Amino acid sequence: MWRKLYAWLEDRLGLEEIYKATLDRPEPKGNWWNTLGSASLFLFLLQGVTGIFLTVYYTPSPDHAYDSIQYIMNDVAFGWLIRGIHHWGSTLMVIVVFVHMVRVFVTASYKYPRELTWIFGVGLLLLTLGMGFTGYLLPWNQRSYWATEVGTRIAGSVPLIGDSILRVLRGGPDLSALTLQRFFSGHIWIIPALLAAVIGVHLYLVMRHGESHFPDKDD
Amino acid sequence: MNEETKKKINQKYEHKLAHGERFWPDSLYKDAVVALGIFLLLILLATFVGVPGEPKADPSDATYVPRPEWYFLFLFKFLAIYGQIPVLGRIEWIAAVLIPGIFLIVLTLLPFIEKKPDRHYSKRVLPISVMGIFVVSVVTLTLIADHPLKWDAQYRLTSLLQVISGLIIPTAAYLLLFLFSFLLKDQRASQGMVLTAGLSGVLMVGLTASVLFLAPVPEVEEVFVANTLPDRVVAGQDLYSIHCVECHGDDGSVTVIEGVEGLDGTVTSPISGMDVLYTFTDATIANIITYGQQDLGMPPFGKAAGGELSVSEIDYIVTFMRYSWDDRFEMPEIPELFPPLAEGEVPSYEVHIAPIAKRFCISCHREGKDNNNYLMTSYDEIIHSGDSAPNLVAGDAESILLKVIQEQNILDENGEEIIGVMPPKSVLKPDVVDVWVRWVMAGMPETVDGAAALSDIVEPVER
Ligand code: HEC
Ligand code: HEC
Ligand code: HEM
Repeated sequence: MWRKLYAWLEDRLGLEEIYKATLDRPEPKGNWWNTLGSASLFLFLLQGVTGIFLTVYYTPSPDHAYDSIQYIMNDVAFGWLIRGIHHWGSTLMVIVVFVHMVRVFVTASYKYPRELTWIFGVGLLLLTLGMGFTGYLLPWNQRSYWATEVGTRIAGSVPLIGDSILRVLRGGPDLSALTLQRFFSGHIWIIPALLAAVIGVHLYLVMRHGESHFPDKDD
Repeated sequence: MNEETKKKINQKYEHKLAHGERFWPDSLYKDAVVALGIFLLLILLATFVGVPGEPKADPSDATYVPRPEWYFLFLFKFLAIYGQIPVLGRIEWIAAVLIPGIFLIVLTLLPFIEKKPDRHYSKRVLPISVMGIFVVSVVTLTLIADHPLKWDAQYRLTSLLQVISGLIIPTAAYLLLFLFSFLLKDQRASQGMVLTAGLSGVLMVGLTASVLFLAPVPEVEEVFVANTLPDRVVAGQDLYSIHCVECHGDDGSVTVIEGVEGLDGTVTSPISGMDVLYTFTDATIANIITYGQQDLGMPPFGKAAGGELSVSEIDYIVTFMRYSWDDRFEMPEIPELFPPLAEGEVPSYEVHIAPIAKRFCISCHREGKDNNNYLMTSYDEIIHSGDSAPNLVAGDAESILLKVIQEQNILDENGEEIIGVMPPKSVLKPDVVDVWVRWVMAGMPETVDGAAALSDIVEPVER
């Protein structure tokens, strides 16, 4: 019975092929440093899941953002846990992605044929920092408000186009409801969508070229 | 890179694959272990460290010291240190945009900059040294981010150390590295570079450690944040007692203001009445408190309008008003103002007197009010200040303060009143008076421990 069902599915989906292509791949002898990429991926997914839960109660307006976070922390069952994981997850993700980059650098894994994997990786680092920057404003507390105020001001110091950048980031000359709306949209739609797409390409490239081997004396 | 090398690389890789492992289950098993570890760590952090509370954003509070998210701190600190350079330091965008920009471009194009196929670290001394110094800089700058960078006597030395460790050493090290790699040959070049990187790393770490050790971060005043509803109601009640009682009364029921300069006889609607609470939303009430109603006599309290209350504090007051007076809201269980005393137990300033003073006296007995210069916002002030000081004498039941809170005013020789009864418009409950009396008679201890030492408890009360 199960075999029949499996054969039927196999026929339509080609499970065997998927299995061969994704899981049953040969790899050079691994080492624990090679888990950092998948750890970044795990953190990305975890941030996604906890973030989706948070949007159920979060309201992106200056009048309600702070209170909605208070509500999540005090009144929603396990709201404190979800927010806590999301909060610490962001910190950990930045660390893990950075250390992943350093390990790839030290083993010189970005050399032929993995140049593009690296370049997309730099994109991922920037997008991860972008997630942190936009997410930090959302609780609309003193710390986040003023951090964003200096952050956007520094971005505004770019010669010639600085003022335009500042206006695009803030949605006007000052931090306002528009800024919060913008950062929210960036944090839950724009950057995650880009991040997911770039992670897709990154992983495709990793699979295509295989994990690089740990360099030895002759390399 | 020619086809020859490419082929060699690919062949070597094939060889490694043949002698390697399978993605499933060998690699995935390690990945799963790490993912699980991370998940557990996050749950522990969320449970035992939590997310620190912060007051609500207050755009009008320009005194707040801005500080970016921790992973941008290194850049923030670098900017600050860079700003110390004469002349060049004025041009902010060089440090804020140009230098990070160059770093990013180099990072992105790295595979095309470092073109040689060599992968073993012994053949990559220059790139690894450059990256090493970068990583050490990022970490050390992050660590000293909060340490003051000032040139007054106290901080001059540590500021200098910061500039050396954060700017001069890395710059010099990079220059040396490139000099070595261009001028010297193979062996000598590697030796020079390893030495430079090692030495500068050690120096940066050492200097950072001494900055951390020598220049303690100035204490930032903890801002009180009320997180739970009961905390918010209590915080709101204290603030209401301090700022609003003189006009609106203890219970918000005043209809004709009395005894307030310039407003005597002003008619107000009782703010605890349903007329006000049903018609105004929280946001409207918060707005009235922030900006006042100048034409009607209600003063502005928000920092945005030059007052002294922050956005969060005004929120607490509104919460207090809602839950105490609005009959559609149910008052949460709130803790008592002070823990009840057992027989023979001595109250302390910390736990008993301070909250009582806050609730009943500070509205008048603080800076800028009419109060015979008797301030009550700290232990010292309560004991020493006032035109009739000492208002409190340890062990003296005839202390001025004890008399006036027990409805005996103080008269001068001609029988004229100099100090009226306190608080002027209401009477303290007997248990509150009892706390004051016991405290003064026992010697006015400041701390809980001091009070415990003086206590002679007969039988502890059930708490
Ligand atoms: C110096 C006296 C004074 C103080 C202090 C004061 N108020 Fe008022 N308040 C007034 C007057 C006068 C009015 C206008 C009366 C009216 O419109 O009914 C008013 C009006 C109000 C109203 C609107 C009532 C209405 O019907 O429009 C609210 C709400 C209010 N005050 C709350 C507060 C709170 C909360 C505080 C403490 C932070 C406070 N007030 C402190 C004098 C004062
Ligand atoms: C409504 C404002 C108000 C409140 C509330 C108030 N006081 Fe006073 N207090 C005054 C004024 C005004 C004076 C100056 C003397 C006078 O006018 O009676 C004063 C004077 C005093 C003095 C004498 C100070 C001196 O050195 O001459 C004492 C002691 C005192 N108050 C204690 C208290 C205590 C204790 C409380 C709280 C339980 C309290 N007061 C609450 C307004 C207030
Ligand atoms: C959201 C962030 C990222 C995710 C989810 C991610 C994911 C992964 C995964 C799963 C792997 C394979 C396993 C491993 O080698 O660890 C990998 C490899 C790799 N990553 Fe990333 N990565 C991220 C960021 C980066 C960054 C910032 C860089 C560099 C700038 C980078 C460069 C590379 C390279 C060159 C490889 C190939 C390594 C090899 O074959 O040995 N990645 N990445």
